[in-house]
Amino acid sequence: MKIACVIPAYNEEKKISQTIEQVKDLVDLIVVVDDNSQDETREILNEMTEKKLKKIYHPINLGQGAALQTGNEYCLKQNFDIIIHFDADGQFLANDIKRMIKPILEEDYDLVIGSRFMGIESNIPKFKKKIIMPMAKIFNNLFFGIKTSDPQNGFRVMTQKTVSKIKIENDRMAHCTEILAKAFKYKLKIKEIPIEVIYHEFGQKFSGGLKIIKDLFLKKISG
Amino acid sequence: MIQQIIAGLIIIFFLIKLLKQWRKKTISFNEFIFWLLFWILALLIIVFIKQIDKIVISLGFSSSAINLAFYIAVLFLFYLIFKMRLKIVKIEKNITDLARKISLKE
Repeated sequence: MKIACVIPAYNEEKKISQTIEQVKDLVDLIVVVDDNSQDETREILNEMTEKKLKKIYHPINLGQGAALQTGNEYCLKQNFDIIIHFDADGQFLANDIKRMIKPILEEDYDLVIGSRFMGIESNIPKFKKKIIMPMAKIFNNLFFGIKTSDPQNGFRVMTQKTVSKIKIENDRMAHCTEILAKAFKYKLKIKEIPIEVIYHEFGQKFSGGLKIIKDLFLKKISG
Repeated sequence: MIQQIIAGLIIIFFLIKLLKQWRKKTISFNEFIFWLLFWILALLIIVFIKQIDKIVISLGFSSSAINLAFYIAVLFLFYLIFKMRLKIVKIEKNITDLARKISLKE
């Protein structure tokens, strides 16, 4: 089984090398997609000589969803069996990768997603935990029939078949909902795994949530 | 009457602008014809506003022709904005596809 980890990176000069370092022994290839960072991310990546590292550079800033899709397409071309989506900012713990892959290897799942609301405590900002996330959960369920405990989690593991089925069309942050919506639509076998998320900053704000809704709506009406 | 003259002058201004754009070839033939008909129609409405008023009343509408023209104009603008948004989404998708192809070729 060939395993690749796609890491979208935008202005991640502080954490990118540390994240790569933590993930490299757990996968066969790390695909870092630099989304036209304006800081030193590109220079840091250029200096890295890690054999397991594939660097892809977007010529313009496209958004996290687009960066993930670029990584996905590269992995499909290289015929990887399992593809992981992992954040560059050190929010996720590399040690969780093994637990996340297990259901695919042993129980034939198509998609495994991390969840911050299944027992393992994360230091989620209160407003996010009590207001934004429950609202996002209701929205996901109401409009897309998504039934997950975590409505917006970027840590996911997919089979090759899942990645080829789910083409990410939302370039910016709406991709989380889009992936889940398509997974439910295609009736894929989905499993949620409790994970810990370490917050260095607030992350997606309420206004960001509204932007996601707008993006999803526009995508829907434009076909 | 003064309002009609002002509105007429504004429309003539846009018609001249349109003709200039056409001469410079900055718009396509179809686009030119569309906007030409649009402004001529607007000019006709302004010139024959009283006659249209009578028609509108005879059709049973309570508002005057100028009000009706505004309603239609607002609806038309909404439609144009909607069309433009869809076009932007399509252009964004093309840009993404192109940028992705370039990055994967490197």
